[in-house]
Amino acid sequence: MSILAQLNSPVMYLICGTIIAFVALVCVFFMIRAYKAGISIGMDPVKMKRTITASATFTLLPSIGILLGVIALSGSLGTPLPWLRLSVIGALHYETQVAEAAAEAVGLSGLNATEMTAEAFTTIALLMSFCIMWGMLMSVFFTKRYLGKIGGSKKSESSENSGGGIGDIAMTAMFIGLVSAYVGSYIGDFVSGSGDWLPIAVAVVAGAVMAVFIYLAEKKNLGWLESFSIAGSMIAGMAAAVLFG
Amino acid sequence: MSDLEKNAAFEAYNQKSHTYGRIACIITLAMLIGAPFLMGFYLGAMPDMAGFVRGFLAVGLVWSVSCIAEYLVYTPMLGAGGSYLAFMTGNLINMKIPCAVNARDMVGAKAGTPENEIISTLSIATSSLVTVVVLAIGVVMLIPLQPILQAPALQPAFDCVVPALFGAMAYKYYRGNLKIALPTLIVMGTLFILVPSLTGSTSFMILPSGAIAIGLALVLNKKSKKGAK
Repeated sequence: MSILAQLNSPVMYLICGTIIAFVALVCVFFMIRAYKAGISIGMDPVKMKRTITASATFTLLPSIGILLGVIALSGSLGTPLPWLRLSVIGALHYETQVAEAAAEAVGLSGLNATEMTAEAFTTIALLMSFCIMWGMLMSVFFTKRYLGKIGGSKKSESSENSGGGIGDIAMTAMFIGLVSAYVGSYIGDFVSGSGDWLPIAVAVVAGAVMAVFIYLAEKKNLGWLESFSIAGSMIAGMAAAVLFG
Repeated sequence: MSDLEKNAAFEAYNQKSHTYGRIACIITLAMLIGAPFLMGFYLGAMPDMAGFVRGFLAVGLVWSVSCIAEYLVYTPMLGAGGSYLAFMTGNLINMKIPCAVNARDMVGAKAGTPENEIISTLSIATSSLVTVVVLAIGVVMLIPLQPILQAPALQPAFDCVVPALFGAMAYKYYRGNLKIALPTLIVMGTLFILVPSLTGSTSFMILPSGAIAIGLALVLNKKSKKGAK
């Protein structure tokens, strides 16, 4: 049996599928608890249902992008491991880089099926899990104390309304910082000559389409469009990438 | 139900979120670290620990620091339930964080409130489940889907998922906040132009970028309060 056939065997699917199923159950459990808690503190069920719908539509497109990551990695690692890695804890940009570097560390010329051995595969799998586990590990030990210290979870809505919402301003600013780091990197890449203009063009198109969505939602009373604004803008940006690319 | 009772109910929910979150994280960690050994048992070859250490020194240290930075930045944004789920399911920057922030803004929940905690948990749980379902369907359909998804004509689109996301989010967050956004973008753009190698560490650069934006926001907030007086 070839190494890829072994990596794609039912036992491998069973191991990976069990972990994914466990994490999916945890998500369902947390979702039901949050919904019930929302009802018990008097939140509007319509708002919570809108959150679920908007989050589902928001996630659909990036998920297809992540599926491509599974496909890309499946040629050398089989399908079950990339499926596990990108369903649980992983990130598309991370997995690809670590898998490549791990393959080189175990003596392969790169990530490819022809050189893959069972020992190289299990080492790569361990490294992929180990390098990115710190967020989860820190959650176990520090989240309760960390959130308690910053007081975020204890602030009541009434104090928020009267207290000026510094946390809210800081959070919006943090997100502006996050977006600026990425948009700044596209500009830097292009101006310094180490990258091309396509990411900038895609970002501009997506931003312009988002402007149209916001205009329609706010000025033309089409509030329902808001749930599709991010996904719609992304589709437009990605379509632009196909046209420009 | 009085405000006092609501707060008590929320506190009880929040405390249990920590308990359940920790248990779920410990079990997931054990399974993720155990899986390569279980696979090794089945394949008849355990991980090469010398290769593992070499690989960790090459790439692991960098990613470990990145993970810790992400934890420090995003946990306060997401609250208890949301952060346990987000760190279990991953894809934070490109999916979970924008998804939770989008949901929060859509329903008008304020940061640090019980509403934000609930919305963030609902949003991240939904997002994670959709990803799990899409990947599961995709894996089942992998063979017939492969020619379509890997068509060379579509590759630029999937290579540009992240710029498309940040372009859309940039418009949403920059408008109305130009005094914070423009200086931050100019500083970051200049930094990336002057030190092009930093583009390989964009996730680290979120920290200084966020610090600049938060600093500006606090200064502007202070000024506007003074002006109001």
